[in-house]
Amino acid sequence: MPEYDVLVIGGGAAGLRASIAAKRAGASVALLSKVHPLRTNSALSPGGVNAPLGSDDSAQKFADDIMNAGDGLCNPEAVNALAAEAAGEVVWLERVGVPFNRDGDGRIDRRALGSGSVERAAYADDRTGHMVLHVLHEQFQRYDIPCFKEWFVTSLIQDAGACTGAVALDHRSGRIETFSAGAVILATGGFIQAYRPCTAAVGTTGDGLALGYDLGVGLADMEMVQFHPTVYSAGRTALISEAALSAGARLVNAAGDTVVDAAGLSRAQLAAAVDKAGRNGGGPVSLDLRPVENVASRFPGAAEVVRLMAGLDITQVPVPVRPVAHRAMGGLDTNASGETSVAGLFAVGECAHSGVHGAGRMPGNTLTEAVVFGKRVGEAAAAHAQSAGTRSTSTDQAARDGERLAAITSGGSSGDTLGTIHRELGDVMHANLGVTRTDAGLAEAQETIRGLRDRHGKLRVGNKSRIFNYALTSHLELGNMLKLAEAVALAARGRNESRGAHQRSDSPERDDTSWKAHTVVHQQDGAPKLDRKAVSA
Amino acid sequence: MEVTYKVHREDSQNGGESSFSTYQVDLPEDATVLDGLQKIRDEQDDTLAFRASCCQGTCGECAVRINYKAQFTCTTRIADVTKKGPEILCAPVRNIPVIKDLVFDMDRFTWDKMAAMKPWMEPDDEFAPTENLVPESEMAEVRKTMTCYQCGLCDEGCAVLPVDFDFLGPGAMVKGYRFVMDPRETGPRQEERLAVVEQPKGLWDCVHCYEANGKCARGLEPSSKIMEMRDVSFKHGIKNEKVARHHNSFINSVKQTGWLDERKLVMETEGLTNIGGLMKLLPTAVRAMTRGKMPGRHEKRPGADQIKRIIEKAEESK
Amino acid sequence: MKYAFYPGCVAKGGCPELYTAAVKVAEKLDIELEEMADVACTGAGCMPTQLSDPINARTFAKAEQMGLPIMTICSTCQGVFSQANHRLQDTDYREEINREYLAEEGLSYQGTTEVKHMLWVLFEDLGVEKLKSLIQRPLDGLKVSPFYGCFLRRPGPIMVPTKEVGGRRGYLEDLTRLLGAENVDISGKTKCCGFPVLTANEESSLGMVAKHAGESKQNGADCMVTPCPLCHLNLDGNQPRAESLKGEKINLPIVHLPQLLGLALGFDADEMQLGKHIVSTKAVNDKVDMLT
Repeated sequence: MPEYDVLVIGGGAAGLRASIAAKRAGASVALLSKVHPLRTNSALSPGGVNAPLGSDDSAQKFADDIMNAGDGLCNPEAVNALAAEAAGEVVWLERVGVPFNRDGDGRIDRRALGSGSVERAAYADDRTGHMVLHVLHEQFQRYDIPCFKEWFVTSLIQDAGACTGAVALDHRSGRIETFSAGAVILATGGFIQAYRPCTAAVGTTGDGLALGYDLGVGLADMEMVQFHPTVYSAGRTALISEAALSAGARLVNAAGDTVVDAAGLSRAQLAAAVDKAGRNGGGPVSLDLRPVENVASRFPGAAEVVRLMAGLDITQVPVPVRPVAHRAMGGLDTNASGETSVAGLFAVGECAHSGVHGAGRMPGNTLTEAVVFGKRVGEAAAAHAQSAGTRSTSTDQAARDGERLAAITSGGSSGDTLGTIHRELGDVMHANLGVTRTDAGLAEAQETIRGLRDRHGKLRVGNKSRIFNYALTSHLELGNMLKLAEAVALAARGRNESRGAHQRSDSPERDDTSWKAHTVVHQQDGAPKLDRKAVSA
Repeated sequence: MEVTYKVHREDSQNGGESSFSTYQVDLPEDATVLDGLQKIRDEQDDTLAFRASCCQGTCGECAVRINYKAQFTCTTRIADVTKKGPEILCAPVRNIPVIKDLVFDMDRFTWDKMAAMKPWMEPDDEFAPTENLVPESEMAEVRKTMTCYQCGLCDEGCAVLPVDFDFLGPGAMVKGYRFVMDPRETGPRQEERLAVVEQPKGLWDCVHCYEANGKCARGLEPSSKIMEMRDVSFKHGIKNEKVARHHNSFINSVKQTGWLDERKLVMETEGLTNIGGLMKLLPTAVRAMTRGKMPGRHEKRPGADQIKRIIEKAEESK
Repeated sequence: MKYAFYPGCVAKGGCPELYTAAVKVAEKLDIELEEMADVACTGAGCMPTQLSDPINARTFAKAEQMGLPIMTICSTCQGVFSQANHRLQDTDYREEINREYLAEEGLSYQGTTEVKHMLWVLFEDLGVEKLKSLIQRPLDGLKVSPFYGCFLRRPGPIMVPTKEVGGRRGYLEDLTRLLGAENVDISGKTKCCGFPVLTANEESSLGMVAKHAGESKQNGADCMVTPCPLCHLNLDGNQPRAESLKGEKINLPIVHLPQLLGLALGFDADEMQLGKHIVSTKAVNDKVDMLT
């Protein structure tokens, strides 16, 4: 069985950064990813990577802004770590190759993301995620770290309370393999594919969250789901960076009148305002990018994706937009070093909840989080693995997973399909767990999700092969999303106040007496159970 | 609208016989080819294998040959590929072994070749407290090159790969170019970069047929980049010895006489002391001679002195 | 109709039959040629552009002085010329070259010279009707595979620049049919012949020869026609080596564009110097002889 000090699961920016850090810390490392690293969701992050690089900026100011955006739910230790280490990481990214845009002095240029924010985002046109991801993958190759790509992790292995490895299915050979590790890092991204529409790649199905949840790790603040305010979405989806707004783009109605003034609004407020304007009868809201100087060269990514997906030319016409599910802020409950409640199990990136985003993530902090915490968690995992005693990794789990997969591919068609269940889940998430929520809507969502889980449990895959059997892995992914959706609905229903991304029309006020606290969902006897956890001072 | 998908099927682990499956699919007018494939897998045939990830033309994962043209399934509208009839033919991209259906061996096709470019920086001052100072105009060029998705569309059109699969291909050359041209990789670093792109099966194995220029979804013109790197390589001294002899002989010939002395070129390229190499040329030379095809005495052209002057001056400026 | 004639090195060297055929054919077609004797090799893609652009600018300046467009009979010359001429449309770049390299000789290129391959001249200047009227021996029954190679086709934006000349993509097939011959398609007709990589990767180069010639033969062609003498050098001259590499006989005659044209215009095989080829053109000669 392959053995490593540190096993990283997930090949996006956070996973790559963690792998590099663990390797540099002297650990033996391997990466498992269900898609090639360059095809991960990190590639889709356009706007920028925040770091206090300006002479008018400081780590303190950055931290204050994050705390402010987090609307009372931030963990100060995590926030301070992010703010303090961001500049070093971004400079390192530049040193190893990220072609950031430059200012007149040849230094890394910075811009505001969203109107009214500080100019703090280093950027590479509007393809920052793509560039950062590609450069991290370059560095990953430099360190010659084994990469098990197109391997789907089916479960984690626990021994005497500690996580000691993982079981994974190789798409290519169809083989199920046990990996033994001193520490496991989950860096699998979020679960936004549970929403329809959404801005994420198809693999953003919350696999890592489900793996940790199954091992007993709590899911924190799952109700905090960020909607992106400027997304074209009509069958196909095209995300336009919010940086366009601070560069002069306007949100207009069919008549061309400005309907939302974005100045000073948080992302959640902006999403709510766009959502509301779209329902006000002035026709659909559009993002008019024509006022942006040199828009095609400054926003080549937006120009391309809007042309490809919407068939529109951003230099000629406004682009219809609406808020679309974009980024989960909830995730596996961790501390500022990525440690979960299970020894040896770490989480980083969108699948993790370190409390760095609170109830409202600042645009531009996803990539910063991926690299800053990627490094921290990689180092922490390496230290853990090196100090941990001997471990035992049983192959029994692999045998059980084999049986589980065989059960999924046994039996005939039930008339139902994975696509139908996925669509129904996405629709109820969008409608009832969207920008604004109500208790009745949440109750209905819980009911619907329960029904979908039952149907999913009965659904079988006809394809018995294990080789590139995407129907089989989709079945597992959908199971993960349904499990997480249940937790999202439970947490959202519990939090009967409005805060950050969680807006309840039936409880429109922020309630610090009861809810200056995290929601935490644990799995008990297969059912989600909601707890409340105090916010660290 | 009702369309017919005709999809390549192959299972290399089980015999590797290839065939086509046909599916009738009802899709909205503005659906993409990927929408249809997903619908087929969901409703008709869950054994169908194809790759996809971002679904918005951003990641480069879903290249497929659709009606004989390699393109991304997620950005290709069914309406655009059914103008001549309702059939949509989906086949794997060319030049590449298939693993299953539309899933092909990206390791051998792209990833291993990219890795051969040693595609990473190892700067001495990696942990310096501040960034490199680079003019935006120079950084913008690198950024443009780095929009490459590493999708393989350019390799798909390559003329060399069908006869030599080990050719590193235009995709890897674009990756090499990104480093050769990076203003942060100057001096000895750039020399190392050139040595990497000039490795066997690299820069000099390209036939500059310009096929790849028309294939890149991001308009990166891989063929032109290869030719640009050859110009750079020339300035730094071509590192492939045989190619260097060929170039020097070529240029000297034009410099001395105004035009090309083919006989001399062939011999000097092989190397005048390389008896084995020269002997290999003998049968061709004999055949040419018997057909009266052997070039005659190579005379200096009128104007040759001016041509020599120009070339020498241009060489000085390198 | 008059052109500054740029035969290129190979037509004056390794493929003298091309030169002979082109000159004879041009005369028959009333195309007046004034050969450019005192200009340089184009660089053929082997010289870096920093050396070849100045010498090509000189050639263009000379043609400008003659007041004539240039006609080439070699796709490689044409391709390198077209690309250089494209770069030289940039006024700053052109002026720099004029100043640095051409001024000393009293030359200056103004960017107006048009460069056309003979194939383009036939369709765009001479015209199909005129050409038809001059055909004396339609090549009925002769099966011909057109082989463009790379340089007349790509880079597309430079070589096939506008919709008006979109027909450039089909000239060789059109001509073949126009001359009465039968068109035999091969999949690689716009692919590389392999010549440019003969130095760096001989096996790959010869592999391409075997692939194209082999496919043409298999599809029943009597011969292949090419507008490029470098394609000819490889497809004809190296066909025996490609045969040994692959261990199979191909034996496909390769004819130059003007030779095929010449046969239809009434010239005989000797006049078109078909005897100078490495692969015997006997099969072609015999078929053509039957026609007269």
